[in-house]
Amino acid sequence: MRVTTPMALLGVLLLAALPALLPAGLLNAAIQMLIAALFACAYSLLSGRAGMLSFGHAAYFGVGAFATVHAMKAFGGAGLLPTPLLPLVGALAGLGFGIVAGWFATQRSGTTFAMITLAIAELLHAIAPQLKGWFGGESGISTMRMPAWGLSFGSTQQVYYLALAWVLLSLALLYFHAATPMGRLTLALRENSHRLGFLGYDAHGLGVSAFALSAMLSGIAGSLQVVSNEAVNYVVFDAGVSAAVVLNSYIGGVGTFLGPALGAALMTFFSYAVSDATQSWLLYQGVLFVLVMMVLPGGLTGLVSTTARLVGRHGFAAVLPLALLALGAALLLSAGTVFVVEAVQRIFSQDYRSLARMAASLPPITMFAHAWQPAAASTWLVPAALLATGAAFAWSARARLAALTRGTESNALEAAAPAIS
Amino acid sequence: MTQMTQPILSVQGLRKSFGETEIIRGIDLELAAGERRALIGPNGAGKSTLFHLISGQLAPSAGSIVFDRQRIDGWTPQRINRRGLARSFQITNIFPKLSVFENVRIAAMQRHRVQYTFWRLLERMARVREQAERLLEQVRLQGRAATLAGELSYSEQRSLELAMTLASDPKLVLLDEPMAGMSSEETQYTLQLIREVTVGRALLLVEHDMEVVFSLADRVSVLVYGEVIATGTPEEIRAHQGVREAYLGEEAAA
Repeated sequence: MRVTTPMALLGVLLLAALPALLPAGLLNAAIQMLIAALFACAYSLLSGRAGMLSFGHAAYFGVGAFATVHAMKAFGGAGLLPTPLLPLVGALAGLGFGIVAGWFATQRSGTTFAMITLAIAELLHAIAPQLKGWFGGESGISTMRMPAWGLSFGSTQQVYYLALAWVLLSLALLYFHAATPMGRLTLALRENSHRLGFLGYDAHGLGVSAFALSAMLSGIAGSLQVVSNEAVNYVVFDAGVSAAVVLNSYIGGVGTFLGPALGAALMTFFSYAVSDATQSWLLYQGVLFVLVMMVLPGGLTGLVSTTARLVGRHGFAAVLPLALLALGAALLLSAGTVFVVEAVQRIFSQDYRSLARMAASLPPITMFAHAWQPAAASTWLVPAALLATGAAFAWSARARLAALTRGTESNALEAAAPAIS
Repeated sequence: MTQMTQPILSVQGLRKSFGETEIIRGIDLELAAGERRALIGPNGAGKSTLFHLISGQLAPSAGSIVFDRQRIDGWTPQRINRRGLARSFQITNIFPKLSVFENVRIAAMQRHRVQYTFWRLLERMARVREQAERLLEQVRLQGRAATLAGELSYSEQRSLELAMTLASDPKLVLLDEPMAGMSSEETQYTLQLIREVTVGRALLLVEHDMEVVFSLADRVSVLVYGEVIATGTPEEIRAHQGVREAYLGEEAAA
């Protein structure tokens, strides 16, 4: 699927209009989505465009964040470094650290490369709580956003626009990079680094350049996080942060330009929307990731482009029932799974077990504003019915897809593999 | 070889061992500027290893390699390539998921020294584009420019490999079986092409097709078990008794 200029403009306009459309709480989530989107795009420059799978990108995000918090304290948002320019500090810190870390990590490729990146991030995570002066110990460092350029930066709205501006600028840079000699060579590096050497190119230097650029953009994302939260602590180096950016990028579609951004925005939104309602968010995230990897190697963007291709080849009317069936299957299966997970989680919770021990019977559990009897068959018939119907829908969708693509030479699901930009 | 012209490539006492096994056992080889030299020999004679040593893929165990008055043994491939020595690969070595045009363009832009250029669009570099288009025309792949390189037929990939090797305008070209897998028409065309594009350059060629070898090469060196057993004009090599026994066998008799 190609993103055309009018579509991109429309997207930017929509993002610019968001503060007028959203309540303040959601706008805060939108800022987190923007930051996660930028982080995922930065990550995908390395893993998608340069073909190097990093498992420790939290390091560059965190370094950008800490550099920014120190800059905020030192300059007080005035003089050379007014608040809107703070992400420059994150960019520089990310770039500098990225050059050093990248110089070591890109000496190797594949699994060894991934392990080196993991080790660098873990090193920071282990060392940060010890260095109180730099990283503020367990409690971290907090600071204040200062007014600059006639703006107070006191409102969420202004922070949103600041983040939006930096994210758009970074995405534009990434887009431009793909069309420059260095960007084209980054693709070639992924394809065949061996041959690059025999064409007179320094493959290691190219690897470092991609690594450093990715770290720089990650630093900007970390910087924006600090500007938004006015605080940071060493947890930003956590392996979970590194893992989240990998998951987000692959769920969105790592081979595409905007896929990682969409994946990250979507997952951040869900975690925001769902984390209050459930304690099992991480489980859902993991299940979703496994499913996407198994059935949609191209990620969600791959799904969209496959659908677009099917529509193009067979017409909208032929694809619509298939799409509705697939959507229905997805909703029903998710509903059934959520029901089971939530019920099990409640039944096995400590509170519930002590309640049950005292009552000497199984008290009802409250879920979806309804009291369910855990021992009643009718309770479990609900998810069973949801799952069975969902499976039937999925089966039927599969059969329809097979009927639709029969005779055409390429399997649509295989074609869902990421398009090469 | 003569006092008048410096050899473009001079290999002295070159040895390469892998553990106990010595694959290259003391090779001396000199190429005059502009010479077309073929390297023949049975499988396992060390032809590809010799290419790897000269092009920097492997470092020699002993001996020296002088290219264009510079010792290059132990250099990295990119340093050797920038010095003006380009090689092709026996097993096609391209960028399979990039377009044919992009493959050639990446090869062609190297001599413009733009590896770290991130402030200009490649699309706007007219000279790189022209060179890439010209190379594609030369190897008759202009109609396949937009195809993914990995989807080309085997012989087309051989042509692409050749175009990429020539893109850096090298002084010495090492071609490792450029015609393998080509039809006889393609072989004839490529033979003529190599003859044209190597005017003013030196060529070191490994090829199993003796017709190609004898019609293209000014001189032929015969490699057997890691040693050069004979060097001479095609006629001399055809007539050489040791070569006939060691290698040519029936082909020479026919």
